[in-house]
Amino acid sequence: MRETLLAVWTIARWEVARSITTMSRDVLPIAIALFVLLVAVTGFASQSGVHLQDGMYNLGIDDPGAARIFAGDERFAVYQADAATLMAAQGTFDLIIIDGRVSTPETEKGRSALRALSRDYTRYEAFVFNQQEDLFAAYPLWIDSLEVKSELDFIATQSGQPVGAGLYGRRRPVPDGPVLPVAPPSATIDVSREDLRRDLIAGAGTDSQISRYSDILSPDTGPGTFKTPSQLSPPLPFDSIILVFVFIFPLYFTSQFFMMSIMNERVERRGEILLSTPLKPWQIIVGKALPYLVVMLGVSAILALINSAPLIILLPLLPVILFFLANALIIGMVARSFKELSFVSIFFSTIATSYLFFPSIFANVHVISLISPLTLIVLQMQGDGFTATDYMYSTSLFWLTSAVLFYVGTVNFTEERLFTLHTLTTRIREFIGTSISLSRPYTSLFLISLFSIPFVFMAQLMMLVLLFNLPMPLSLIVLLVGAAFIEELAKSIGVYTLVANIPDFFSWKRVVAASAAVAAGFLIGEKTLLFATLAQISDSIFGAVLFASLQVLWIPLTLHFIGIFVTAAVLRTWGRRAYLPGLIAATVIHTLYNLSFILGWI
Amino acid sequence: MNARHAGIITKKELKGLYNEKTIILAILLQLFIAMFSSFLMVGLASMYDPDSVGRLSTIRYPVAYTGEDSPLFGYLSAREDLIVYRMELDTAVAALGERKLGAVVWAPDTAPDADDPIKITLYTIQNDIQATVINVKLKEVFLEYESDLRDIRAPRLDVRPLPLEIPPSEPGSNFYEFVYGLLIPLLVFMPAIISSALIIDLITEEYQHDTLETLMSTPVTFTEMIWGKVAACLVIVPVQSAAWLLLLVVNGIAIANAIPILLHVTAGSMVLILLGAITALHYRDRTNAQFIFSTGLVVVILFVLALPYNPLNLIVRLSVDAIGAEHWLILLAVIAFTAIASIATDRYAARIGTRIFQK
Repeated sequence: MRETLLAVWTIARWEVARSITTMSRDVLPIAIALFVLLVAVTGFASQSGVHLQDGMYNLGIDDPGAARIFAGDERFAVYQADAATLMAAQGTFDLIIIDGRVSTPETEKGRSALRALSRDYTRYEAFVFNQQEDLFAAYPLWIDSLEVKSELDFIATQSGQPVGAGLYGRRRPVPDGPVLPVAPPSATIDVSREDLRRDLIAGAGTDSQISRYSDILSPDTGPGTFKTPSQLSPPLPFDSIILVFVFIFPLYFTSQFFMMSIMNERVERRGEILLSTPLKPWQIIVGKALPYLVVMLGVSAILALINSAPLIILLPLLPVILFFLANALIIGMVARSFKELSFVSIFFSTIATSYLFFPSIFANVHVISLISPLTLIVLQMQGDGFTATDYMYSTSLFWLTSAVLFYVGTVNFTEERLFTLHTLTTRIREFIGTSISLSRPYTSLFLISLFSIPFVFMAQLMMLVLLFNLPMPLSLIVLLVGAAFIEELAKSIGVYTLVANIPDFFSWKRVVAASAAVAAGFLIGEKTLLFATLAQISDSIFGAVLFASLQVLWIPLTLHFIGIFVTAAVLRTWGRRAYLPGLIAATVIHTLYNLSFILGWI
Repeated sequence: MNARHAGIITKKELKGLYNEKTIILAILLQLFIAMFSSFLMVGLASMYDPDSVGRLSTIRYPVAYTGEDSPLFGYLSAREDLIVYRMELDTAVAALGERKLGAVVWAPDTAPDADDPIKITLYTIQNDIQATVINVKLKEVFLEYESDLRDIRAPRLDVRPLPLEIPPSEPGSNFYEFVYGLLIPLLVFMPAIISSALIIDLITEEYQHDTLETLMSTPVTFTEMIWGKVAACLVIVPVQSAAWLLLLVVNGIAIANAIPILLHVTAGSMVLILLGAITALHYRDRTNAQFIFSTGLVVVILFVLALPYNPLNLIVRLSVDAIGAEHWLILLAVIAFTAIASIATDRYAARIGTRIFQK
């Protein structure tokens, strides 16, 4: 035990030393110079502002006083002239203000300009009102928002109909359950006038282009939940984008170095020396990954401290870090050339970032947001915290997929795999091929389909998140077909690999046996993971679509069997080239089954 | 320099891109980003302007009014998309918990002209997208009420804001600014960033895979090779950007001045590609070059964005047709800068080339 750890430690030290020696050649001084430049440029940018949307709208105005209101908004190119001149050149303006009356052409651009203008005007009004001695004359109405936890929550949509709103027509709604007494709220605000004013002024500042993003990380210190009507707004969905940049981007950046370190071992067979040592592949991989893991954790901790966030947010970040490292390992092992490495890694990072980012947009809105660990960070920063169940729910897929990827990377960390160059798809097939034992093919197929489940879930959840906002029937249809396709694809991977490696492996008897093994593995995996994590989503209508085949055990088993059997039979009869048609056929069958299930035919 | 030699290299690199399917990955990547944006658009539209999602527009949301009598009840009842019930607070909250109501409002009997503010308590459902929709509707009601109350209390104000009569904004897409002010410059400039990362890979690969010597034994000189690679990276930029513009137009987003936009993008991307090339020539190692380049890129982009009339801003202005002929001047300036950078790259490459020969 001690020796294995020592071996890992040696590799880790070696990795650090190597990266420092290759880095030495004037990278560090230039990096420091660039960093200083970055700070300077950031200062310059925050002073001069971001000039991206400058001059989008032409605004004509006759009153210099009113012109001053909009002078600070660079989106407007403001022209001041008398009314007659403005009217003459009417066509060139998107907005004209004459005698305090705003007019705009009936175009999309005009409407957008008007919206920008009225937002500016509201801000100006707020600025004037905030200075008033009698604050409650300027702000006579205050709203205290309270949230009621609904017991039905997400599950309510199970019936597939919008619950509540609109269904009850003219009849006064009567609760079915017990009515608990609710203390009537007080009619007065127990916060001093000056505290409210301070909050208003602070709130007014956060509306500008940049500060809106930079203030999110510092926790809210306003007095209670009192708001004026104009402050009443749903949470800004862009808020979590800042978290992506602050926490996820450095992780992605560091994992690039790990990826490159793996790739470098393969360039010109440099890793041969390492492989010829008595070290086991897993020791090499863990040893090489360890410094990066430590750096990533350290960077995250520093970032958390800088932003005065609680360190507990490292907990949801850890599986994300492992996920990034696991993917970096695989990408570094499969890429044929540097440009392939670049594109695959950018592609991966875009998908991973959006998987993390999309759901957290809805952090305060919808349960679906919990599938992203970022949401836990958002919640923690808001001071709401998260429970162990939440944690499991949003991180288990990351833990599982990382584990599987690390395993695949380890078994393929051999001379044969590392130093050959094949196309991406071939390589992935080879990687999977390594995990198929020819003496026990059915067990291997069973395990492959079992371990593909976390990936299937991830892909399906990604789809759910993407489609969640499309209009209802469309989103369901796309989801139905997409979910079926992903499942059939995952199931067929093992079989396809076998056919590709040993074309005459499959006799009809073996097709049946292999299909049974795959179907069983898939079903068991699906059931287990679903019960463990996704109870909330699987109970909704979307869940019904995704996981329709889970109700009674023998029906889904048959379905999974038929699906993979169709693909395998097509592969058996027409060979590898018929893979896609076979897959489509299986998808059609799967979709039809899901559809009939949802429509209640089964 | 022999242009035919550089052309051979360009062809070789383009073929490599095609064969390794990297270009397909790049296009997929950009499509994904577009999907991301369309998701944001639909998502935002439905959150801020629920009526833009058709199915929600016909629904009338049930809201309970509780507490004392106040003018608020009138404001709520006047709305066509709300059904207001007068209820007891505890029954209403229980019904809200069962989702039989969209929201519960509690109002005190504070007089409209009282010294104290009127404090409304609003109950909504936690973690619910419908609550967001109702929130938006109630906000409009509250704003109306607030403005009338403000008129009543107006004599007590010290200063009054300059009056401005703004016509009511019509419901409709409110993502015009998002599309033209953010999405279009992002999508159109994406290929430029991809190409500048690509040139680093192409150059460092020759070093790290030791293919440089083989290449140098052919009649192609080192400088010609570099220019061939730069050309390969450059030609794919306007093609991708044009494809984006076309896709946007097909999707009903009208874009003015497409040709000037493409010229600006191509000129801008040449600057980035040369920057990448110089970095790669200097470091000869992908990890280092990409690290320095990406840090440098952030600095450059941030700096450029902080300048008025920067190329990205010009793309925005051009796409909404809000700029005169002055953008040609800026294009000229960028091209002049590109020319200087090209000469610098050429000299640098030539120096490295001779050094390789001496070795």
